[in-house]
Amino acid sequence: MADLLSLVGVNKVYGQKVKTHVLKDINLAFKKQEFSAIIGQSGSGKSTLLNILGTLDRPSSGTVYSNERNLSSLSDDELAVFRNRMMGFIFQFHYLLPEFSALENVLIPHWLGQGNPPPDILKLAKQLLDRVGVSERMNNKSTDLSGGQQQRVAIARALINRPGVILADEPTGNLDSDSAEQVNQLMREINEEFGTTFIIVTHDRHIAARCDRVVEIKDGAIVQDYLTAEREERENWEELAPRYCNLRKGEVEWVNKR
Amino acid sequence: MFIWKAAFRFLIEGRSQTLFIAVGIAIGISVLIFLNILITGLQQDLVNTTVGSSPHIVVSSREDPLQSLFPAEENKVVLSRTGGLFDTTRPLNEWDHLIEQLGRRELFTAVSPVAEGSGFLSRGEKNVSVRIRGVDLNRADPIYNIEERMVEGDFMVGKSQVLIGVDLAEELDLAPGDLIRLSNLEGTASSYTIRGIFDLGSQAINASWIFISLDGAQTIYQLSNAITGLELQLEDVFQAEELARRLEQSFPELSWSSWEEENPDLLSALSSQGISSYVIQAFVLLAVALGISSVLAVSVMQKSRQIGILKALGISTAGVSRIFLIQGALLGLLGSLIGSFLGALLLLSFFTFTADEAGMPLFPISFDPLVFIFAIAVATLAGMGAAAIPARRAAKLNTIEVIKNG
Repeated sequence: MADLLSLVGVNKVYGQKVKTHVLKDINLAFKKQEFSAIIGQSGSGKSTLLNILGTLDRPSSGTVYSNERNLSSLSDDELAVFRNRMMGFIFQFHYLLPEFSALENVLIPHWLGQGNPPPDILKLAKQLLDRVGVSERMNNKSTDLSGGQQQRVAIARALINRPGVILADEPTGNLDSDSAEQVNQLMREINEEFGTTFIIVTHDRHIAARCDRVVEIKDGAIVQDYLTAEREERENWEELAPRYCNLRKGEVEWVNKR
Repeated sequence: MFIWKAAFRFLIEGRSQTLFIAVGIAIGISVLIFLNILITGLQQDLVNTTVGSSPHIVVSSREDPLQSLFPAEENKVVLSRTGGLFDTTRPLNEWDHLIEQLGRRELFTAVSPVAEGSGFLSRGEKNVSVRIRGVDLNRADPIYNIEERMVEGDFMVGKSQVLIGVDLAEELDLAPGDLIRLSNLEGTASSYTIRGIFDLGSQAINASWIFISLDGAQTIYQLSNAITGLELQLEDVFQAEELARRLEQSFPELSWSSWEEENPDLLSALSSQGISSYVIQAFVLLAVALGISSVLAVSVMQKSRQIGILKALGISTAGVSRIFLIQGALLGLLGSLIGSFLGALLLLSFFTFTADEAGMPLFPISFDPLVFIFAIAVATLAGMGAAAIPARRAAKLNTIEVIKNG
């Protein structure tokens, strides 16, 4: 199966005189339905990586592919159309349009791509709001919603055009822990229900631990890329193996004391 | 369309900012409308006073070089007013045909044949130089408005019945019913009855003009059936010069002179007045446009988050530009609608406060709807033009910068 989204030899350099090499020769591919996390310290380049994956930014060198289509050759407007059809975005600071109601915010991607929403899209928008639990406040201005509600509306908005992939940049970074938990839960459920690929940038290892796959960036390079299920298995094994060995050697008590 | 909705919402959410700039535009546009209508009214009044009651184009036979031997000194003012150098020595013979042809053009509100010449009026001892004008009163009246401006007697002329001016009547102590003698320059004289006395508002005319019937004048000057010229009046006085030149091409054997040729001073006064009014209007419009531009520039900064998010969601660069262009146009439209209302109010109060005791305004003005439509259209377009720079800036806004900086 072709990769849904992939980077080949991507570099990103900022600045003219003082050059900052933010991404260094990144090769990375995401499959359909994957629920991945990109983690790293702030300044590691993880947000830049997400922006390049989301075609909001262009690499200094290297190529971005989507289903083997070379996105680097598209114009800004062609990329805008591509994003509108293929991608959903969730940002840290909610970014609903305060001039519009929750329902209207959900409809914006459809409006931009295909004009006025027909009844079935309107119905879908309401269903999505219902699904994320904000249907009661769908006619409220988005500024009247709590942070968690806004972020859930943003998730519904990301889904309205039924994109293949949703990119989320610190989606719970600005939320209290209860709301964050709800939003995480919701993204996971949507991943399973709709088969939508998620790529989530976070610095929270707890969130990362609940993703299928974790890509860790440090100083613009990938330092780790693993599937959490395999990793757990290995960690379990690493933890269990010495115990097992020690048990054999009769040193269990010492281990337990420690 | 989403971009329209977005433009509307951005403006509505801008509230006080939107209101302030709309009022600013409104003030500018009201001044523009006020000035435009005032100047137009003033100019129309001026033109009306000058040429409202005189022919706009005068047709005569090509000037005979011999005529310069005949300087009709005392009639100079009159001549320049009517614009023609009519003389009985250069008659138009086939004028029926000419009138028919001119009438077919449907450009003229009045076509009046004239047979005229200089002569003398004598009453007892006194002898006064006069201008004897043979006209068909029904055709001449649309030009001169004689009937409305009769002072005494009847509005009628005949072969031996004449109308004279009020100054002439005063000078010679004449009244309707009196007999006078009129003679041509050769001295051939006959008796005529005064039927009425007119006041055409000009001392030169009132002191020298005598209206008589066409055949009366033709007899005095031995013209048989010929006339000396044609006087034309147009719907649009400002077309006179152009039309005269066009007709000159069609009838090169005739001399066509327009009032514009005869009144170069008035024309230059009008045009400098017009130009200064347009310059003021242009600067007002510029100020309005700059106001719109700066408000939208601020708005682009305020809405940068929204623009960033819309770009991420897939709006085209042209779409972003259009949101701001539409806002500019809407501000221009809204402002100019309020401005039209204010401008009308300003005009009404101006003419109420400057009215004389009888409540008559200084001069008549017309609320030409075209002026309002034009002002609204110009303001809307100017608003859109003013939005161009902010719109460009919005379109160029970097999505990542906006998203990164929260």
